[in-house]
Amino acid sequence: MRLIVNQLAKAYGYLWALRHIDLAIAPGEFVALLGPNGAGKTTLLKLLAGLIAPTTGAIELDGRPLTANASTVRGQIGLLAPAEHLYDQLTVLENLRFFTGLYNKYGSASALQTALEEVGLAGRAQEYAGNLSAGMKCRLSIAKWRLLDPGLLLLDEPYGVLDGNGVDLLETFLRAHCAKGHIVIMASHHVARALNLCGRALILHQGRLHFDEPKQTPWPAFDRAFGDFLPRGGL
Amino acid sequence: MTLVKQAYLLLCKDLLLEMRRRDSLLTMFFFGTLLLFVFHFAFDMPPDKVAELAPALLWLAFLFTGTLGLAQLFQAERDNHCLDALLLSPLDRGALFLAKTGFNLMLMLAVEVVVIPLFWILFNLSGWNLLPQLFLVTLLGTVGFCVLGTITAAITLRARARELLLPLVLFPLMIPVILATIRCMETVLKTGSFGDATPWLRLLLGFDVIFLTIGVLIFDWVIES
Repeated sequence: MRLIVNQLAKAYGYLWALRHIDLAIAPGEFVALLGPNGAGKTTLLKLLAGLIAPTTGAIELDGRPLTANASTVRGQIGLLAPAEHLYDQLTVLENLRFFTGLYNKYGSASALQTALEEVGLAGRAQEYAGNLSAGMKCRLSIAKWRLLDPGLLLLDEPYGVLDGNGVDLLETFLRAHCAKGHIVIMASHHVARALNLCGRALILHQGRLHFDEPKQTPWPAFDRAFGDFLPRGGL
Repeated sequence: MTLVKQAYLLLCKDLLLEMRRRDSLLTMFFFGTLLLFVFHFAFDMPPDKVAELAPALLWLAFLFTGTLGLAQLFQAERDNHCLDALLLSPLDRGALFLAKTGFNLMLMLAVEVVVIPLFWILFNLSGWNLLPQLFLVTLLGTVGFCVLGTITAAITLRARARELLLPLVLFPLMIPVILATIRCMETVLKTGSFGDATPWLRLLLGFDVIFLTIGVLIFDWVIES
């Protein structure tokens, strides 16, 4: 899967949330999306997910434009938003069954059970998702996207709700996902963790892309760019 | 995956959620019954006015009751941003429309099966043999209501005052359905058969088919705008 973003911009009324975004992301890349609050990270993720339409510009996945009607393209995109996108009144297992059905990727009972075991939810398969903590819901989302296996996986601030074990689980999943040639783009304020995982970092500030480089060690250019916009707390 | 298969999956999910929450069906049922009692105490229906008044009162009850159900139609999708999860998926938006319309229709029919006989009893109406014909007219009218209701519920989904906006948008659009249904019921009650009401029946049927097709075709635009 290859992602091309060309002159992408999004305005909410008179406010430009994003402007002049150009990106080319190769298969298997892990991209950390960083920036202060209000920089446009979530807007960019929503645009890439096809949940909102750009004001100008275009997004292509494997050469196919991401338009509202392109259901085959949409089937290749995942968005992991912690504690969201799950039905509270469905059980853990029913949520997995419903979403795998929606993507026409019906898993066998044993496949679903294995996915739940891998995220530590095997014993809670019959519980309502609404009874789970935010961290447990995030684990359920990890199980969901592991089963759906999207070519482009977007993550919006996944660390906030996970415990240490959950973070390890998420990072193992993300590394394995990239190893399959899939793209991962993660927006996060946990800079140290994001940098540890990523192969490339983007810094957004006031809707513009201020930094875009492959990871290096040491990385003085990132340190300079990062210091311009963000406090050093995470590093 | 076909449109019907996707719609079936969504409908099963909605029915399962309703079985567990029961808020829409119970609210609609109690509200519908309550309205009948209010009408019963408010109107003294003389036997010679039954054919003219009964259909209008009955449809007033259905309209208000149905609007309550429509306000809750996308509640499960609003919680936890589940609508985003659906829009993110390769789901055909027409399937979402069919599933929501089907779900709303089932709720409305469940309420009507109780409300119509209760109306007959409360107003001491004769002509129980006319109930099958009245149910047929009601079914066609209810399909029209659910089709238009689902479209307008989706249009007002992201509006701040959606509960207020929904009837304001829906009721004017419903005028042809209400008019045709009331005229049909009136004819059945007066003459005991559809007789002169056949054109109104055709109008209802045509309205249902046309708006069901339009709904499937435009729902992607409606839900994503």
